[in-house]
Amino acid sequence: MRSPVARRRRGQELGLGLMAVVVTAGGYVLLQLAEKPDLPPDLWVFMLAVLGLYLVAHLAVRRLAPRADATLLPIAAVLNGIGFVVVSRLDRDLARVQAVWIAVGVGAFVLTLMLVRRIRTLERYKYTFLLVGLGALLLPMLPGIGREINGARLWLRLGPLNFQPGEIAKVLLVVFFAAYLVDKRELLSSGTRHVGRLTLPDPKHLGPLLLAWAVSILVMVQQKDLGSSLLFFAVFAAMLYIATSRASYLIVAFGLFVGGALIAYQLFGHVQDRVQAWVDPWSVSQTTGFQTVQSMFALGTGGFDGTGLGLGSPQKIPNASTDFVFSAIGEELGLIGTVAVCCLFLLFVGSGFRIAVQADRPFSKLFGAGLTTIVGVQTFVIVGGVTRVIPLTGVTLPFISYGGSSLIANFVIVALLLRISDETVRQAEEPRARTTAVIGEAASVPSRRQVAR
Amino acid sequence: MNRSIRKVGIAVTVLLLALVAQLTYFQVVDANRLADDPRNVRSQLEDYNRPRGQILTADGEVVARSVPVEGDGDFKFQREYPLGPLFAQISGYQSFVVGNAGVEASYNGVLTGREKEIDFGNITDVFTGKQDTQNVVLSLERRLQQLAADQLGDRKGSIALVEVKTGAVLAMYSNPTYDPNPLAGHDTEQVNTDFFLLNIDPAKPMLPRAYRELFPPGSTYKTVTAIAGIDAGVTSPTTEYPFRAFLELPQSSTPLENFGGGTCGGTLIQAFTVSCNVVFAEIGLQLGNDFVPRMANCGVQAGTNPPLDLDPSAVASVGPPAGSFDNDKPSFARAGIGQDPVAVTPLQMALVAAGIGNGGVIPLPHVARDITDADGGLLRTIAPEPWLTCTSPATALEVTNMMVQVVNSSNGTGTRARIPGVTVAGKSGTAQTGVEGAPPHAWFMAFAPAEAPEFAVAVILEGEGGTSEQTGGQVAAPLARAMLEGALFP
Repeated sequence: MRSPVARRRRGQELGLGLMAVVVTAGGYVLLQLAEKPDLPPDLWVFMLAVLGLYLVAHLAVRRLAPRADATLLPIAAVLNGIGFVVVSRLDRDLARVQAVWIAVGVGAFVLTLMLVRRIRTLERYKYTFLLVGLGALLLPMLPGIGREINGARLWLRLGPLNFQPGEIAKVLLVVFFAAYLVDKRELLSSGTRHVGRLTLPDPKHLGPLLLAWAVSILVMVQQKDLGSSLLFFAVFAAMLYIATSRASYLIVAFGLFVGGALIAYQLFGHVQDRVQAWVDPWSVSQTTGFQTVQSMFALGTGGFDGTGLGLGSPQKIPNASTDFVFSAIGEELGLIGTVAVCCLFLLFVGSGFRIAVQADRPFSKLFGAGLTTIVGVQTFVIVGGVTRVIPLTGVTLPFISYGGSSLIANFVIVALLLRISDETVRQAEEPRARTTAVIGEAASVPSRRQVAR
Repeated sequence: MNRSIRKVGIAVTVLLLALVAQLTYFQVVDANRLADDPRNVRSQLEDYNRPRGQILTADGEVVARSVPVEGDGDFKFQREYPLGPLFAQISGYQSFVVGNAGVEASYNGVLTGREKEIDFGNITDVFTGKQDTQNVVLSLERRLQQLAADQLGDRKGSIALVEVKTGAVLAMYSNPTYDPNPLAGHDTEQVNTDFFLLNIDPAKPMLPRAYRELFPPGSTYKTVTAIAGIDAGVTSPTTEYPFRAFLELPQSSTPLENFGGGTCGGTLIQAFTVSCNVVFAEIGLQLGNDFVPRMANCGVQAGTNPPLDLDPSAVASVGPPAGSFDNDKPSFARAGIGQDPVAVTPLQMALVAAGIGNGGVIPLPHVARDITDADGGLLRTIAPEPWLTCTSPATALEVTNMMVQVVNSSNGTGTRARIPGVTVAGKSGTAQTGVEGAPPHAWFMAFAPAEAPEFAVAVILEGEGGTSEQTGGQVAAPLARAMLEGALFP
């Protein structure tokens, strides 16, 4: 590593990562102590496994993206560690599967770093990603391999495991959106049609975008995956706004959202149930509001400092290891734990947006911001849902919830953000390469100036 | 583009901070309300799944214990009551479905280890929040409790046996009783059904009659009347009373008669020995409003309940309201002979007997003797405490002598309580139930040995339809004798 930035950042990443390993092992020990007053017999095996997984990821970054941001991987590691401890507290069998998924996730992380050497490679295949993304969304609808769980048909059956291809589709579709928006943003920014006081761009340019978005939303509504619909909607609106800097898109998007929400409320009983359980869960505390009420009980029982790991009754909350994992954390680790987790997500999101701001190519900026928005908004949608800030819609809590597809998608997001970050520093360090890059992307030069002003 | 990225970043940050605000509300501001909400089963589950200490008898038998349950269910322990109905009204029950009662409720904190006697846990306890359970050792002995149950047989009634000096309850049993084991079950519906059936049973098997049911005490109450009269100076053991068959009552056209319609009188000692109603009714009238505070001294006035260490605790007795003499004089005459408006629990009469035996000081009653740790090591002994000062040692001695006459005198009403070689002080009672056609309640209260009192007992055999005509001296005295013998000669 010749680069001093690389040396410094990788050193920080290793140090922070070791702390993440200690936090995870500490949680594991506490969990064991709650049952009997001995240290877990497999503590060393556990610590070595956690350390080993982290070192694999860290060494991959060292080798494949040495100049990348130092904080994302440790934050992901500690969130993932907390998640594993909580899931294993709730269900030992599930934890064993989760351990395999974490290993697969780390593998996906390394593979992503290996395959995506240059972020612009992705840009080139945007329509391929669109097709694969939509295909992945549609896959669970196919008879035979699709599976319905809790009324939502989102899963693929792969032998004993269930896989949710929609999680991966999110990332793929964000690639398409970012590439398409960067391509068309000049046209999208300058409106040609006037609708009242709003100026809208030519539908010819907006059309494919709206179509892709509408299809993905419809598919999710059809699959009853409200959380993903909401997430997708928000991420799409944010990316459109970032690409064009035009607030009018946000107004239009908000209008579409309100309209869509009203229609969904009229059409679907389960949407009405969710809204009812949000407005007044106590009146339906035994039926549709049951999980919301149980979640509030868990949070209240946890109070400021929690019952202690392994000493609460989070198994009383339905779906405690997936949608409601945050409530389980709230019960056993208290406000201290929940705020710590929120702060970790804030740090993650902060690092992600910083990477996007520092990136020097529009696609990298938009793509990085889109990926970061996925993690931030997904966190808000599920934590807001279980804490009654918004109606409950089931999505996973990134890095923490049980679920392989979600873990893989999130590790891929980290890898892609690190790739963007590494590329930014590398281009800054190699002026010649930067010149070449600028020449190679003449079209994007004016836009950068536009942003700079 | 950077500006809009920053704006989106700020928006996401605001969203996440909104979560922190909401979390603070749920986990700090509203936390206690949510934690204590009756629909939140956590605290009950926690209590139920905490390892729980044993309840043991003074002679080392297990009254209640928790055995681990295999499997992954909500419940990690099953509560068992090996002695079942014999101790049900002391141990109570610990139920996830219908709550708890008895020692299970009053010593819940001790049994779960939450109220620690000694707070030096080892270091892993601090980290895990693990609490050691503690056992409650009762002052009751299984042997004496069994004796009480055997003595009552299938008759409806109660027996309370206490230690004179300490107030330790050695036996407290009443018929009918119930088995607490089904209530500790884990099947909500089954437990609710069992609980409902026990509650609608007209025999009220879950009612601990010895300390939670009120009965007119009848002539046993003459001990209180005598104490009040002597202390107030309206009578003395040698005061002479005319021989009469009835007493005209003020404000009433119905005269008060002696039991069985006989004529009686003479000295107070003689009147006490044969349980002469007209004499004690007259003392009640002479005492007037002064009677009420003196009842209170002996723990048998309206609203006084012995602070027994059970939950629910002992009920309060009833009696004439303070200052009501001028409005209702006949009530004070009837109170003098332990009839309406006076009603007490059998435990209260045992405590009056203990107070007389203890030089006038009634000890604080308690059913628990020791708190021990999980290995049986002694953590704390329930220290004996005085409860009320009923009378002076001199008056107590005079009343003791009268009670000895009741048992030892050939014309006494309590001759059946005699124990060879031991002087027994006692008083019989035969209380009108107020129910037309129902035979009276048969009472006997006693303590022994009279010279150096150790044990006090109260027995009631309830009069109800179907029981034959009975007097306390005939049917209740032998039970009191058996209990005292059992305590004196183990």
